[in-house]
This record gives sequence, structure tokens and C-alpha cells, in this order.
Amino acid sequence: MSDVIALDPYRPYPDCYDELVDTNGVARPQALAVARFIMQNGAEELARRQAELDRTISAMGVSFTVYSDSQNIDRAWPLDVVPRTIAASDWQRTSDGLKQRLQALNLFINDLYNDQKILKDGIVPSELVLKSKNFLAPCQGFEPAYGVWANICGTDLVRDGEGNFLVLEDNLRVPSGVSYMLENRTVMKRVFPELFAESTIGPVDDYPAQLWNMLASLSPQDAETPRVVVLTPGIYNSAYFEHSFLAQQMGCPLAENNDLYVDDDVVYLRTLHGPQRVDVIYRRIDDTFIDPQVFRKDSALGIPGLIGAWRAGNVAIANAPGSGVADDKVVYAFVPEIIRYYLKQDPLIDNVPTYLCMDDKERDHVLANLDKLVVKPANESGGYGILIGPRATDEERAQCAAAIRENPRNFIAQPTLNLSTAPTLCDGLLEPRHLDLRPFILQGESLYCTNGGLSRVALRRGSLVVNSSQGGGSKDTWIINHGS
Amino acid sequence: MLARVAENVYWMGRYLERMDDTARLINATTHMLIDSHEDTRFSWPVLIDVLGEDAKGFIQEGSSSELGVMHYLIVAEDSTASIRHACSQVRTNARCVREVIPREFWEEINSLHLFVQSECKLASNRAKRYNLMAEVIRRCQAVIGVMDGTMLRDDTYGLFNIGRHLERADMTTRIMDVLILQQLAPAAGRQTRRQFEWSSLLNAMGAVESYRRYYTEEPGETDVTDFLLTYGPFPRSVASCLEKIERSARWLPRSESVLKTIGNIRNALDSEPLHSLNTLGMHKLIDDVQAGLIDLHGALMSESLQAPAA
Repeated sequence: MSDVIALDPYRPYPDCYDELVDTNGVARPQALAVARFIMQNGAEELARRQAELDRTISAMGVSFTVYSDSQNIDRAWPLDVVPRTIAASDWQRTSDGLKQRLQALNLFINDLYNDQKILKDGIVPSELVLKSKNFLAPCQGFEPAYGVWANICGTDLVRDGEGNFLVLEDNLRVPSGVSYMLENRTVMKRVFPELFAESTIGPVDDYPAQLWNMLASLSPQDAETPRVVVLTPGIYNSAYFEHSFLAQQMGCPLAENNDLYVDDDVVYLRTLHGPQRVDVIYRRIDDTFIDPQVFRKDSALGIPGLIGAWRAGNVAIANAPGSGVADDKVVYAFVPEIIRYYLKQDPLIDNVPTYLCMDDKERDHVLANLDKLVVKPANESGGYGILIGPRATDEERAQCAAAIRENPRNFIAQPTLNLSTAPTLCDGLLEPRHLDLRPFILQGESLYCTNGGLSRVALRRGSLVVNSSQGGGSKDTWIINHGS
Repeated sequence: MLARVAENVYWMGRYLERMDDTARLINATTHMLIDSHEDTRFSWPVLIDVLGEDAKGFIQEGSSSELGVMHYLIVAEDSTASIRHACSQVRTNARCVREVIPREFWEEINSLHLFVQSECKLASNRAKRYNLMAEVIRRCQAVIGVMDGTMLRDDTYGLFNIGRHLERADMTTRIMDVLILQQLAPAAGRQTRRQFEWSSLLNAMGAVESYRRYYTEEPGETDVTDFLLTYGPFPRSVASCLEKIERSARWLPRSESVLKTIGNIRNALDSEPLHSLNTLGMHKLIDDVQAGLIDLHGALMSESLQAPAA
């Protein structure tokens, strides 16, 4: 190949995999077009495009909401100008692995709420599941369409020093972010039309149609066009932008709880022209809030009688209530075994090595190595409650140790990872910044995985925290087919 | 369409029209004052009479300064008569109904909002203000244009149109009312109504040329009041607004009261030849039309937009 482009003066961190360049700073094959653009146009042009991109985002009204921000409920979505490129060949295996994983997790959830064979066979400890607050007793003995509980999964992936994809966590409750994946692409197409002309970039824009097809496949009625609604907690929810975006893109009503009611185990939508029967609900409300008659009595977001209608088989709910039982960082540690148990296959993607604090030996190891490990609570999301051992103070570590001893079941620990990096425009210069990737996987009648996903990037130098609620940014993710 | 969403769509239409009309009125008034005659009694607070019910607290007692009034009508976010307030309401309502409007429509509203937030910060001098208001008008029209070219002709479109035209009819009558009260002596005859004050009013509605044609081509004893109240072909006349509301309302459920109210307003307009009314009679007629529009809003809210009980 005559194409050797060094992304000077950019240099990656020595011990991390960089997505765009190798250790010498030379562009990887899938990043050639991007590197050429950068070298030909320079950092100033990049900064100009970044400004244009920011203007586009604000004109498109792409925003996210931070709860503590009482003044300004919408903030402009942060997107870095440099795309992340992944070779299609690397992605194929990852995508297969993600589908494999979701398939196994759904078999697992269905088993837990029915025969519990995996517990009887001693593969997963019974108490781990049965004492979990995410195991919802009212869901027992039920089997949703195709036996699938988690219809929409957002799996967080990271890459180790060698560039291998590893699963960091599975989000099986109400995973969010897919609208930003879609909007990032729309913005990039407007700002970099020339790059899209030059490269073969895997499209992402079929997601809303795939999502609708999957949801429609869950309908208990035979109707040709089932009535699918998106259920949102309302305009003050941090993911409201995404709820309205997905409803708009799928062409579905966006309902709040008061727009729905249950009569004789059938769910209806209150429309101007009278009640309309609802077949499928894509809920973006936590499952314990969806029906005050069954779960949290204090829920003001729920629809009384919804679980009854669901159990009567009159309405499908995605994700099914109770699917969060497999979205737990302790269960996570067992996923490779779960895959082997149900599918008789080896996992195509590995987990990050994980220590379970509920295990005496592993707990001792964790407590002795708090300065090297990342400790995570089993049941939090959004990056909350995480201790990054090497960067914590002695006091923070002591507090964490006490919390682990108090409730070992509630914690896991993992080695600090050298997350992969990509060149990111920081104050006018390209610098390496750590990132992760959240692809979205759908399972109904069939399985689907997005082309790439949402790449989130930690904007502070050296930081590993990518959550947008904590100052993270994002990148458009390009699956590049650069030929053989 | 969801009952909750219906109300948002209706208000989105009303506030968008209010912004447009307010900007037009500000520019027309400014023009009139530039070439005003000595005997005119028109002054800035007249605009407050047209647009504001809650001006107290914003405008100091006895203050008639141009900048003070402009601050109240353009900039003050907590003034319900301001362009900024109306624009925030358009955006807030649109945000609640994004799922029923096309992407382009949403983006146009969003960029209108960004523009107003960044540009309508200070009550500026006349020259700048003229351009600013012209740009607000242009951007409001862009929203309408995108809607017209992309939106399904469904309940959403219908309610948006009802909101727009109800607000427009209301604004037309408000402007007429104040100008009549302010400008015309009780004995003023037909000729006076064609004086320059009226041409500024026509200017506010982009109607100067249309009125010229109407005046030269339509037979009979008619004048500006006929044109603005009953002339169907002019899109800002009350008659034209009523016709559009009626056309959209026919598709709504439980629309009997709405349609009946429209009929009542029409009857009031048709009861006697307008040119024979003196100022007091005209004032009374306009009051009746405004009361009818309030009834129309009420009928819509309490009947058509209420989801039927299950």
C-alpha cells in the first residue's frame, strides 16, 4: 500500500490502543480518509468544522438534560469533530458476539422467571438472583413473545491495550443514547459531506425502522399495523429528547402515563377521537414505576392495571418488566458461563476480569488492592458511585472498604483498564482521549445490532469517565469497509 | 392524536401567529410615527393597549418612552405580550409535540428560538429594530412555509391552523379597535377611515397593495373596515380566518359548539352594512367579535380538545 499517513504531531498514549493510528502515529487502514483530511486541511480547518458542527447541533435542537441543572433544562449535545473509525472486519465479530450475548441473557431471564434450571444446576448461585431487588416476583411464571424479555439492549464496550473489544456492562432496563448515535451521524453528514463521498461508511439510519419492526413483532394481536406507543415519564426526564425523537422517527404516539388507561385488562390510549387500543408499549420508565397496583405504590408515573393487561397477554411491554434482573454487575460476572450453559458456545466477546466481593477470597483480594482496582456498585448506572482506586484519596478508599464489608453482595471490582483512545479536538489541538462504545441490540422475532453505536469520550485528559452527565462528549462512529 | 398533545399544538399555532403579528405591528407603528402628522394623537402606549393586559409593573406610570414600550413588547421574558415570551412558548409547546411534527418543522422552530434568544435582548434603536422585526417576521413565515410543505393534513395540522387563525382574527380586531378609538372622532365619516392612520394599519398586515386593489375593483360602498372584517379573499380578514378555522374544525370531534360560535360571529358581522356604523357602533361590533372569539376558544378547550370519557 502506498498510503502511509502519519497524523503528526499527534501521538497516542504508549500503553493504550488508539482507534485511528498505530503506536508510531501512522493511520490505521480504516482511518486513512480521515487522516488524509486532517493532514490536508490542518487543525484550523478542524476547529472551523467543529464550530459549524456545534452550530448545527444547536439548530437541530439536539440536547440532553442534567437533573441538577434547574436553570437550563436542555444542554447542547457535545460531539467531537473527529470521527472514530472501526474496521468492518473487527466489527462483524463484535456484532455477532453482542447478538450471542443478548440471546443468552434472554434465555437466562426467561429461565429465572420460570423453571430456574440454571439455579438448580448450580451455575449461578440462587441467592444471587432470588434476593436481588431486581428479581420481580410478579413476573414469575410468565413468558413474553418469543421468550424474550430484554428486547432493547445497550451494551457498553471498551477496548483493551491490544484493541480487543470487552464488555463492560449490559444495560437491559431502559438503555438510552441511540438517538444521539443517529443525530451524530446526521450532523456529520452535513458538516463533512466530502468524507462520506470518499469512504464506505456503514449506515446507522435504519435503526428507527428496525426498532418499530421489532416492537411490532411483539404485538399480541394479528392486526396488520399494530398500535405501538412510546411511554415517557414526561418532558422533565433526562432522556425526554430521545423519547420524543424515537416516537417521531418511528411515527408513534409519545404517551405519558395519563394518556393511557387499562379497562378489563386492555390498554387504551386517550385520543381526541376516543379510546384506541394499544398493542405494544415501548416503555422508557423504570419497571418498578409502571404499575402502582403491583410495584411501587407511590409511583405517579405508572398506569394502574398495566401488569394485569400484560400478564393477560393483551399488551406487550418492551423491555418486559423484570428484565433488569440480568442487568446487575454481579450477574454480569456470570455471563460467560450463562452463554456456555444455554447456547453451548464460547463467548465471542470477553468480559472485563471481575472480582465479586460476595466471594470471601475475591473480597480479600479487592480490599488488599483497592489502590489498583475500580470498584462499582452492582446496581447503579450513569457512572454514579464508582471508586477509581488509583485516583482516589485514602479517605475515599477507606469509605469504600467499609461499604464493601457492610454489603459485599453490592460490589464488584475490576482492574483499571487502559481504555482505547482516539484523537479528539481539545483547545484547537488533537489529543488522545479515552472512549467507550455503546451499540444497541434488538431482539424480538429476530436479532439486530447497530452498525457501531454511540461512542462516548472522556473530554478531560487522562479521565476515564465518559458519561455525558459528568462532562463526557461523543464521537460519530464509522464502521469502515476499506476492502481486503 | 392524544388529547394532551392537541392543546400543545393549538397553543404553538397561537403563539407563532402572535409573534408574527406583534413584530408587524411594531414596525408599522414605527413607520407611522416617522411620518406622523402634528394632529395625530397616536403615541407608543397605544401599542400596550393593543397587545398588553398586564403592562402594569413593566411600564412605569405615565411613562410613554419608546424604549420602555419596546422593552415590554420585545425583550421582557416575563411580559406575556413580548416576542421573546411568545417565542419561548412556541418552542416549549413544540418540544412537547415533537413526535407529531416533521424534523424540518422542528428545526425551523428551534432556530427561530435561538435567533430570538440571542437577538431580542435589548430594546434597540429604530433602524436596528426595523431589521430585527423584519427578520422575526421572515423566520415566522419560514416556519409556516416548512409546515405547509412537509406536514400531513391531519389533526395536528388542523389544530395548528385553528390556533394561528384564531390568534390572527383576534389581533386584527385588536388593532382595529384601538385605532378606531384613538384616531377617529365620533363624527368622522367614510373618508377619514382612509386616512394615513389606516394605511399604517394596513401596512402592519402587509395589506396596503391588496387594499388598493380591493378599493378600486370592488363595487359598492365599502371601506377598510369591510376589507378587514368581511373580505374573504384577504387572508388576515376576520372572515378569512373564520373560514379557515371552520374548515379545520369540521374534522375535529365534538365540534358543534365551535361551528355554532363561528356562525354567531358571522351573524354579528352581517347584521348591518359596516360603512353605516359610526365609531361607537364599530367599537361595539368589534367587541362582539372579540367576545365571539373568546367563546370559540372556550368551546374548543371544553369540548373538542377534551378526550371523551372512557
